[in-house]
Amino acid sequence: MRLPQFNYTGPDTLEKALDLLSAHAQDAKILAGGTDLLVRMKKGLIAPKFLISLKALNELSYIKKDKNAIRIGARTCLADIIASDLVQKEATALSTACEKVGSATIQHFRGTIGGNILQDNRCFHYNQSAFHRSGRQACHKDGGKICYARDESDRCNSTCQSDGATALMALGAKLVLVSKANERTVALTDFYTTDGIMPFAMEPQELLKEIVIPVEGGKSSYQRLAYRSAIDYPIVCAGVLLKASAKKDTIDDARIVVGAMGRSPLFLNQESSSLKGKLFTDTAAFQKAADSSMNSAATFAVHNVGATLEYRCAMVSEMVFRALQEAAAAASKA
Amino acid sequence: MEKLDLILNINNKPMDVRITPNDTLLEVLRDHLDFTGSKESCGEGVCGSCTVQLDGKPVRSCLTLALEAEGCNVKTVEGLADGDKLSPLQESFVNHGAVQCGFCTPGMLMTADALLQQNSNPDEDTIRKALSGNICRCTGYAKIVEAVAHTAHPDDQCPECASGIKSCCKTKE
Amino acid sequence: MTDYNIIGTRMPRVDSRAKVMGKAKFTADLKLPHMLVGKIKRSPYAHARIISIDASKALALPGVRSVVTGKDTEGVKWGVFAYTRDQQFLQTDKARYIGDEVAAVAAVDEETAAKALDLIDVTYEELPAVYDPMAAMASETELIHAEFPNNINIHVNIDTGNVDENFAKAHYIREDTFTAPEESYFQAEPYAVVARFDSDDCLEVWCPNGGPHMKSKPLSNSFKIPLHKVKIRRIAIGGAFGGRSEICPADYICALLAKKTGCPVKIQFTREENTIGTRQGHSMITTHKTGVDKEGRVLARETTCYMDGGAYSSTGPIATSVPFLSMEQAYRMGSVRYNGYRVYTNKPIRGMIRTHGRGFAAGLDTQLDMIAEHLGIDPVEMRLRNSRQPGEYTSTKSLVSSCAMDETIHKAVEKSGWKEKWGKLPPFHGIGIGTNSVQTGFPMGIRGGSQSFIKFNEDGEATVMSGVVDNGQGNENMLVQIAAEELGLLPEDIHLVNADTETTSSDPGSYSQVSTFVGGQAVKNAAANCKEKLFEVASKILKVPADALAAKNRMIFVKDAPEKCVPLKKVVRVALTNFISVNAEGGYWPKVDMKREWVSNPYGQMCEAFSFGTTIIEVKVDPQTGQVTVLNCVACQDVGKALNPLVLEGQFEGSVAMGGQGGMLTEYHEWKEGRCLNPTMLDYKLPLACDMPPIHNIIVESIEPKGPYGAKEAAMSIAMSAAQAYAGAVSNAIGVYMDSFPLTPDKILAAIKKIK
Repeated sequence: MRLPQFNYTGPDTLEKALDLLSAHAQDAKILAGGTDLLVRMKKGLIAPKFLISLKALNELSYIKKDKNAIRIGARTCLADIIASDLVQKEATALSTACEKVGSATIQHFRGTIGGNILQDNRCFHYNQSAFHRSGRQACHKDGGKICYARDESDRCNSTCQSDGATALMALGAKLVLVSKANERTVALTDFYTTDGIMPFAMEPQELLKEIVIPVEGGKSSYQRLAYRSAIDYPIVCAGVLLKASAKKDTIDDARIVVGAMGRSPLFLNQESSSLKGKLFTDTAAFQKAADSSMNSAATFAVHNVGATLEYRCAMVSEMVFRALQEAAAAASKA
Repeated sequence: MEKLDLILNINNKPMDVRITPNDTLLEVLRDHLDFTGSKESCGEGVCGSCTVQLDGKPVRSCLTLALEAEGCNVKTVEGLADGDKLSPLQESFVNHGAVQCGFCTPGMLMTADALLQQNSNPDEDTIRKALSGNICRCTGYAKIVEAVAHTAHPDDQCPECASGIKSCCKTKE
Repeated sequence: MTDYNIIGTRMPRVDSRAKVMGKAKFTADLKLPHMLVGKIKRSPYAHARIISIDASKALALPGVRSVVTGKDTEGVKWGVFAYTRDQQFLQTDKARYIGDEVAAVAAVDEETAAKALDLIDVTYEELPAVYDPMAAMASETELIHAEFPNNINIHVNIDTGNVDENFAKAHYIREDTFTAPEESYFQAEPYAVVARFDSDDCLEVWCPNGGPHMKSKPLSNSFKIPLHKVKIRRIAIGGAFGGRSEICPADYICALLAKKTGCPVKIQFTREENTIGTRQGHSMITTHKTGVDKEGRVLARETTCYMDGGAYSSTGPIATSVPFLSMEQAYRMGSVRYNGYRVYTNKPIRGMIRTHGRGFAAGLDTQLDMIAEHLGIDPVEMRLRNSRQPGEYTSTKSLVSSCAMDETIHKAVEKSGWKEKWGKLPPFHGIGIGTNSVQTGFPMGIRGGSQSFIKFNEDGEATVMSGVVDNGQGNENMLVQIAAEELGLLPEDIHLVNADTETTSSDPGSYSQVSTFVGGQAVKNAAANCKEKLFEVASKILKVPADALAAKNRMIFVKDAPEKCVPLKKVVRVALTNFISVNAEGGYWPKVDMKREWVSNPYGQMCEAFSFGTTIIEVKVDPQTGQVTVLNCVACQDVGKALNPLVLEGQFEGSVAMGGQGGMLTEYHEWKEGRCLNPTMLDYKLPLACDMPPIHNIIVESIEPKGPYGAKEAAMSIAMSAAQAYAGAVSNAIGVYMDSFPLTPDKILAAIKKIK
């Protein structure tokens, strides 16, 4: 499968990269590991005129800790994150999520955390070859006005299947976005549009520079289901974060996030707050929150990433419950 | 489309190539340089048949731009053997029946070789996990896993050792 | 026990060295001077009349050398059988599935060829399409093929008589329906073909194939050139699994482009094209009605199966029969009636696949388990009471000479710890058994037999010529082993020339488990004829009668006095200097009932031997997610004789992966109006290294009197029985008999919830 034609640039400083991005904005795409972008280009889903490679931007590859946050450069490869004791200890959900992406020894060296967060939404009616998409009307994401996943839908229902984003949202992570003119920090929960065509609230001239994960002593867990052990996107996943109260026996703060069920990872506010003040051993509360998560997430999901919709919805509850239990077990041990 | 001249270091030899930016490393290896050992099976980074090593790390060459391999040490399946002498891993693949149709074999070898460089003592689970990005339709993986394990632990007994491997060939000596 | 030197050893395959070095050339690796890139324009509509094709814009594109359409062809319809000729290689009147070939282009490079495809302007008139066999039969819209009423492509009817009477006598009767959607081959190597017309106007073709002679004849017919002018060449092949048996339209198209341009042309399929544009497995809806006596012996069975055949016949008559045949070989039945319908739909073409009829077979075994439970019989005992015995005839009158089915059951049961486990496992823990039988080679008309030639070189080494092709399973090594054993040489002394229609004789091809039995036997016979000639010469040198001689390790020696010997090389040289030929030929034709025919007369000896396999699987099911972890697998097969246990085990293990792990847990196609939603390796879930259970292989040797060294076939009956065992194990674990395959977590969870 040939890639379409494009111009390639490999700036060696962030500044140069941002200059290029600013100059070519709409026509350019950032190339990190290429595991998502190049596949979409091969399928003719996008045809950027310029690829701005981050290959030489080693300055965007780091994992460091400052006072109360872990900072990860966007170009850091998944293998480095998995190998990081710091991430494993302080942001377990992210470590687990990265391990699940693609396959162990291959994609982890090229796949980057930035690329994982910014992997485009997927749908099995859209992520197909140009041939497959011919002979029928184009769908919303493909420039048309129809949705094959949900009849009569006036917009794109593509699904965000990023493991990393789900875990990071649970961890309360923020993204640092830079452009030539500006640098801003946005909470991951505020990073998504409600439009599957362009799921990210990000300007074309912006570049994801850094991921900031607050470290406030919480314990996190990430759970996911796929049809096989590797090289598979999640069909449903959940990330949770539990913070202990001063006395350590009750939950002071909880974050429940469900992934692969909608256009973005879904932070479930109500279910999260329902756990506040609950004992770490209160599995009934966990189950209730998990079941409620299922109901909340189910409204967003459509049948477009494999398995059946019924199954994926049912599994929301199970993934959330398991994540809560694992995080609670870790929190009570800490 | 603009053509670019590039020097790629492949199996420790510098190679001049004239490419376009949209040439993948796999295309350059196969079509420009005739290193056809690396195979295209899925073309989208799933199957692992095109796996080569960049600076010792296994990567999908079908999703790596040739341009991005500049300055790296590219190792392909053709670089495993020392002339006619197979590497211990290759030898082990042959002896353990790890090769059937052979189409996934080059990618499988490059992944396994990278694993063994990084971890000389992998257990079976580690091997299986390492190979989980390489799809084989013929073998059910059992003999591939055995072959990698045997390379790491050549003194462990396996049916091939026990039966005096290549017994039918040794008789000629 | 015969003392073999090479047969039966764990010999590493002769082809593996080139493969681990990356030197083995597959079709896509070939480069020829002035070679062009070919691409096929496929129909984006499931059913559409072709009104016009305008290639002018494509032809005007710089770099485009040729565009071909149905008008450039002779319009001949091709089919495996005279009564299934329904497929043109480039459609002229209408397209019948999304992917049907309507035009093709040859250009200087891939980019230009792809651009040119888009510039070919095809005007279609869309027709109503059908995507389901039941709907297709009931459809009143335009038939997919006008000559086939109700869209029924093939109807196989088998009736041994007394079925209704025996049902009346039965103690217990059950009727259950089982379904399974399409599965795909996903050979590692996507289809590719290189074709050129050489300086002598001969057509030379390289492509993955299940038998070069199966390709050359239709090409010779299509181009109206003599068979000797079609040279299908040997090339490494990246897997077949039944999916490379017949001519592929791309072979013809590639050759046509080569003819038009005067240049070699290469067509390389994308993964998607390999999935939709070659063959797939049939989806099937199977109803088994079984009546048993008090002891659980099957008195009568009636099976009706509807198969979604897709747009064309392919190997339809065979495909419609084989699931039934495997059943009637494995199990004795007092009487049986079978109605198999292969129905046309507007979906990709379906052919034979390694796990052909997974739903059919797994359904049958599931029903046996249901009956066993009703009667209070252990599933193992249930199978033993109905298992095929040597010396019996199948329901359709094939004699089963060798059969160690019971032994495979006993050995698998013992190794798996069945007795300690059955009924005693913790909740959501299950064990299941499957047994199956596969036919070893059935003839396909004049290409039913194989012939081999062997010539000696003056250094005492032999060149063996055989039509047998190696798809990856190790056929080449098998031929080398047989030749070396028989000639008294070592494997490295054998130079194999195979799978080339110019230099090798007709051969049935590498499917229907025929290669060892027929092709191997042909080499064995040729080698025996060589040896007879060698011994004649040697007897003069050693001054003993020829029948007192034997050959081994490059020596010819006196059997009773091995010290009296002469190097084989010397015998060859003596023969040459005395103008005596020691070259020879040999052949083998399966002795079957030639009056038997798939549809018109499905009775009589269909093939010479049958293999029998038993697989036992142990699983754990997560009751909350429905996900299955496979804990253990025991695969046991009566192979007749293990020519090479190392290779054989690899076949067993691959069969478990494809038939069981993939076939029963994860592999199926999803569709939207004839569009395959998961044609890629990302979306179609093939098993990975981490997914596979430990596999214990047990080889049982019944020594088939008609097979070479007693050999039958390798592991097809494992692929099938693994599917059955996986189904049984999951059903056992969750306490629900599953009737819809594969057993994906959603179905398992739904079943668990239902009983809760």
